[in-house]
Amino acid sequence: MTSQRQALHRLGGYAAVCVLILLVPLFVSDGYLLNKFARYLVFGILSLALSLSWGYAGILNLGQAAGFGLGSYCMAMALKLRTIPIQTGAGGLPDFMVWNNVHTLPWFWQPFHSYAFALLAGIGVPVLVAFLIGWFVFRARVSGVYVAIITLAMLVVINLVIIDQQRYTGGFNGITDLTTFKVFGVEFGAYSVSTYYLAAVILTLLLFLGLALMNSKTGLILQAIRDDETRVRYFGYDVANYQNFIFCVSAGVAGLAGMLYTLVMEFASPTFLAVPISLSIVIWCAVGGRASLLGAALGAIVVTGVQGSLSDSKTFLDTWMLIMGALFIVVVLFLPNGLISIVDVIRDKRERRRLAAAAGAPRRTAVVAPSRSAAR
Amino acid sequence: MSIDRRKFLKGTATAGVAAAAGFPHIWIKNASLAYAAGGEIKVGVLYSLTGTTAIIETSLNHATIMAIEEINAAGGINGMKVVPVIEDPASDPATFAEKARRLVVGEKCVSVFGSYTSASRKAVLPVFEKYHNLYWYPTLYEGRECSTNVMYTGAVPNQQQKDLIPWLVKNFGKKFYLIGSNYIYPKEENNVCKILLKQLGGEVVGEEYVPLGHSEFSAVINKFKETQPNVIFSTVVGDSVVALHRQYKAAGLDPKKMPMASLTTSEDEVAAMGGEFAAGHFTSAPYFMSYDSPENHKFVEAFKKRWGKDKTTNFVSEPAYFQVHLFKQAVAKLGKGSITPADVRKAAWGQEYKAPEGLVKIDPKNSHTYLWPKIGEWQTSGQAKIIEESKEWVEPLPYWAYPGQVCTPDGMVEKKG
Amino acid sequence: MNSIIPQISVGLSIASILLLIALGLAIIYGTMGVINLAHGDFVMLGAYTVWFLQKQFAMNLITTLPFVFAFVGAVGWLAERMLIRHLYQRPLDTILATWGLGVIMQQAVRLLAGAELRYVKMPDFLINPVHFFGYEDSAYRIFIFALAVALLIATYVLIYKTEFGLRMRAITQNRDVSRCFGINAGRVYALTFAYGAGLAGIAGALVSPLKSVAPDMGTGYVVDAFLVVVLGGVHSLLGTVASSYVIGQADAVLASWSDDTIAKAVVFLGVVVLIRLFPQGLFAMRVRRS
Repeated sequence: MTSQRQALHRLGGYAAVCVLILLVPLFVSDGYLLNKFARYLVFGILSLALSLSWGYAGILNLGQAAGFGLGSYCMAMALKLRTIPIQTGAGGLPDFMVWNNVHTLPWFWQPFHSYAFALLAGIGVPVLVAFLIGWFVFRARVSGVYVAIITLAMLVVINLVIIDQQRYTGGFNGITDLTTFKVFGVEFGAYSVSTYYLAAVILTLLLFLGLALMNSKTGLILQAIRDDETRVRYFGYDVANYQNFIFCVSAGVAGLAGMLYTLVMEFASPTFLAVPISLSIVIWCAVGGRASLLGAALGAIVVTGVQGSLSDSKTFLDTWMLIMGALFIVVVLFLPNGLISIVDVIRDKRERRRLAAAAGAPRRTAVVAPSRSAAR
Repeated sequence: MSIDRRKFLKGTATAGVAAAAGFPHIWIKNASLAYAAGGEIKVGVLYSLTGTTAIIETSLNHATIMAIEEINAAGGINGMKVVPVIEDPASDPATFAEKARRLVVGEKCVSVFGSYTSASRKAVLPVFEKYHNLYWYPTLYEGRECSTNVMYTGAVPNQQQKDLIPWLVKNFGKKFYLIGSNYIYPKEENNVCKILLKQLGGEVVGEEYVPLGHSEFSAVINKFKETQPNVIFSTVVGDSVVALHRQYKAAGLDPKKMPMASLTTSEDEVAAMGGEFAAGHFTSAPYFMSYDSPENHKFVEAFKKRWGKDKTTNFVSEPAYFQVHLFKQAVAKLGKGSITPADVRKAAWGQEYKAPEGLVKIDPKNSHTYLWPKIGEWQTSGQAKIIEESKEWVEPLPYWAYPGQVCTPDGMVEKKG
Repeated sequence: MNSIIPQISVGLSIASILLLIALGLAIIYGTMGVINLAHGDFVMLGAYTVWFLQKQFAMNLITTLPFVFAFVGAVGWLAERMLIRHLYQRPLDTILATWGLGVIMQQAVRLLAGAELRYVKMPDFLINPVHFFGYEDSAYRIFIFALAVALLIATYVLIYKTEFGLRMRAITQNRDVSRCFGINAGRVYALTFAYGAGLAGIAGALVSPLKSVAPDMGTGYVVDAFLVVVLGGVHSLLGTVASSYVIGQADAVLASWSDDTIAKAVVFLGVVVLIRLFPQGLFAMRVRRS
C-alpha cells in the first residue's frame, strides 16, 4: 500500500513540475529570459541523462559531456552548411575551413546537408561512441571508480582531437555563426517560445519515459546491479549488456540535450565537451539527487541558477567560485542523496508520526526509508 | 491522502516562492527601458576573472575600469555618469554568451567592452547581431572579419607584420620556422607571413602548432636544432610562451643566431618567464610599456597606482584602456539626445584619441583602428627596447592578404572581377 | 642514430615530469581508493609556495623544497582529516568532494596571489646546458630526472622497507583485519594523503621554472597524471614508472612526426584495448566497499 502511494506521489510530483515548466511562457514573454530558462532546461536533460546511468545503474560517467558535445556538433554542422559565410565570401565553404585553407568539403561533412541525417547523428554518434567504450569496459568487468577515470580520459581525448583537428571542426573556436533551425515552417530561434517549448516537452517526455524504464524489468535489474553486481551475475543475467545498454541510452539522451544546446546557444564549442562541464553535470546530479530523475533535473536548474545569480552580483564577483566549491562539499558531506532526499526525510518523519498516532502511543517504529539507495 | 495532497501543494508553493526569492534577478524584466536612462550610461565590462584566460583578462578588466573611473572623475559624459556592469564570464564561451545576453538585454548596456580570445568574441557575436548592440574588442586578432556590431581596436595582421618580416629577413636571414598555438589566430598570421616571405624570397623550414596550454617543448626544440632556422616566428600564446622561452634557453639555443620573433609575447609573459629568458628576442606590437611618450608615462603611473606597484601594462590592456576614451568621445559627440548602439558606432567613426602608443583613429571604412606598429627587443629587465617604430600610423586592413575582399561599414564585400 | 639519442632524452625528460606528478596520485589512489581530482591543484600549490618563498625570502629553489613538501603535505593532511575521512564508505563521492576542494584552492590562490602568470627562478647553476658524449642537454631537465628517480627510490623504501609502509600495505589489502591487529587506519590514511599531496607539491615546485605558474596550471597536469594511472594501474610502483615511461616516450616519438594530441589519443585507445585483453592481469581493480 505504502509503496503504491509513494509511486503515486512521485508521479504527482513529476507531473506538477512538468506543468509548471510548460506554463512558464504564459508568464514570461521576454526572449532573453526564455532563452535563459531554456538553457537551464537543457542542463536539466543532461543531468537526467547522468542520473540514468549513475543514479540507477551505478555507472559514474565522468565523460557525460562527450555525448553532449558530439550532439551539439552534429546540429551545428547541419546549421553551418546552411549558413552563408559572410566573412569569407558567399558561396564558399564554411568560414573556418576557408581560414584553414581547406578547399573541398570533407566527406564526413557531406551527409549533414540533410537535417534528418544530422538529427539521427546527434543521437547516433554519442550512442556509438558509448557503445564502443562500454563494450571494452563492461565486458572486462571494470567497475566503480575505474569506469570514472576511463570515461574522463575518453572525454579529454575526444576534446583534444576536436581542438586539434580545427580544419574540420573549427578547433578551439568551435562552430560559430549559425543559421536558425527551421523544420515544418517552425523556426527554432535561440530566443523563441518554440525553442523553449521544444526543450520543455523533451524534458517532460524524458522524465516520464525514464520513470517507465526504471520501473520496467530492465530498470529493476539495473538497480539491482547498482546495489550488488555480483549477485545479479549469479542470477544469470548478463550484467555487461545491461550496463552497456543504459550507458548508451544515457549518452543518447546527452546527445539530444547537446543538439538543443546548439539551438539555445547559437554555436558549438569544444568547451561543451570539456572537463569542467562534465564534472558540473555530476555536481548537478549529486546536488539534486542522483537516484531521482526529477531531482537530477531540478539539481541542474537550481545549481546553474544559483551560480548565475552569484556571479552576476557585484558582491560575489570574486568569491562566487569559492562559494560554489564550498556549497558543493557541504552537499556531498551532509546530503549524499541530494536535495530531493529532503522530501523523503520529511515524508518519513510524517509517516512515522502517523504510524505512531495510529498505534495510540508514541513508539519507535522502524519505517525503513524507501529504496532510494545509499550513495555508493 | 487528501491531507497529504494539500500539504504537498503547500510545499510546492513554498518551494516556488523560495526559488523566486532565491534568484530575484531572473524575474526582473526591463527590456522596455531605454539606453542611458536616468542620467547614467551603462556599459558592460566582460572580461574573465576566473578560468584559464583570467591570466590576461584581469588586466583588461583593470584597464577598462580605470578608464571609466577617469572619465567619471572628469565629470562623466555630458554630465552623465558611466556605470560599468562587471561580469565574470569565467573563460568559458557559453558563459560569455550568457553574460553578454544579460548585459545587452537585461541591463540594457549601450556598449560592451570585452574579451580576449577569438573564441569568446565569436561566441558573443550572435547576441550583438540579434540585439543590434555594439561590442568593443581590444585584442589583436587574425583579421578577416568585418562585423557591423564590433569596434576592433587591436591590431590586425598587416599592422603587425608588414614592417616586421622585411626587417627580420634583412637582419637575420630567410629561413623561418613558424610555431604557433593551435587555433585560428596563429594559422591566419602564418598565412600572411608566408605570403610576405614569398615576396621576399624567404623560406619556411617548419610549421608547427602546439595545443593551447601546451608546456612541453622539448620535441619542438629538437626540431629547431635540426632545421637551424634564422628566425623562429612565434604566435604561441599565454602560459605556453613562458614554457617555450625557458626551455629554449635551457636547451642552449642562442637568440643572437636564432631569435624568436613574436606577435603575442607581452610584458606579462616576460615578467612570468623572467627577463633573462626573453632577452634578445623580439615582439612586434603597437604598444610597449617602455614606450616613451607623456601619455604612456601617465597611463603606466596611473595603472600602477590604481592596481598595484608590480602590475604591468601591455599591448592588449592599452587598447582596452583607450577604447573606453574613444567610446566617451563618440557619446559626447551625440549630445544628450538619443544614444543607441548604432548611433555610438556611427559617432565613433573617425574619432581620434591621443593614446599611450600615439594618436589613434577609428577607421570609418571598417571600424578597425589606425595604430603605430613598433618592434621591441626584450631586455633582461623585463622591458622591451624599442628599436623600430613606424613613421606614421598604419591603416587597418582586415582583408589585406585577400585582394578580392574588402571590409566596409556594411560588412564584407567581394569585389567583382 | 643522430636523432635517436635526443629523442630518447626528450622522452625521459617528459617521463620524469609525468612520474613526479603521477606518483602522488597513484599512491593515494592505490592505498585509499580515493580519486583525488584536487591533485593538480596540489601541484599548483607547490609552485605557488616556491614563488612566495622566493619573493619574500629570496630563497633558492632547491632550499625551498622541504618547505614546499611540508606545507603542501600539511594542506593535504588537513583535507583528509576534514573532508576525505568522511567519505571512505563512498569512493565515488570523493571524486566530487576533491573537485570542490580543487575549485576552492584555485580561487583562493587567485584571490591571494593574483590571477597573472608568476615567475619562479631557476637555480643559477642549472640554467645553462651541459655537454656529454658530444650531445648537449638541459641541465635543469637532468636535475629533474635525478630528483624524480630519488623520490621514486624514497617512496619505494617508504612503502616496502618501513613499518609505516607495512601498515599501509596491510590496510590496502584488508582494512578491517588490519584494524584488528591494532593499526590505526585513520592515521595511516591521513599520512598517506599528506605524503601524496607533498609529492604533488614537489612536482609543482620542480616544473615551475620550466613552465609557468598560474592558478589553473594544475588542470592540465592532472589529466596527464590520470592517463598514467589508467595505463599503469595502481598495483605497484612499477606500473606507474613503466607507464610514465611509455607515455613519455610515445609523446616524444609521435610528436616528432605528428603532434602531441594524436599521441595522447593513440595512447588512450591503446589503454582501452589493453583493458579488454587483460582485464585481470593489468587492471583488476578492487573497489573498496567497506
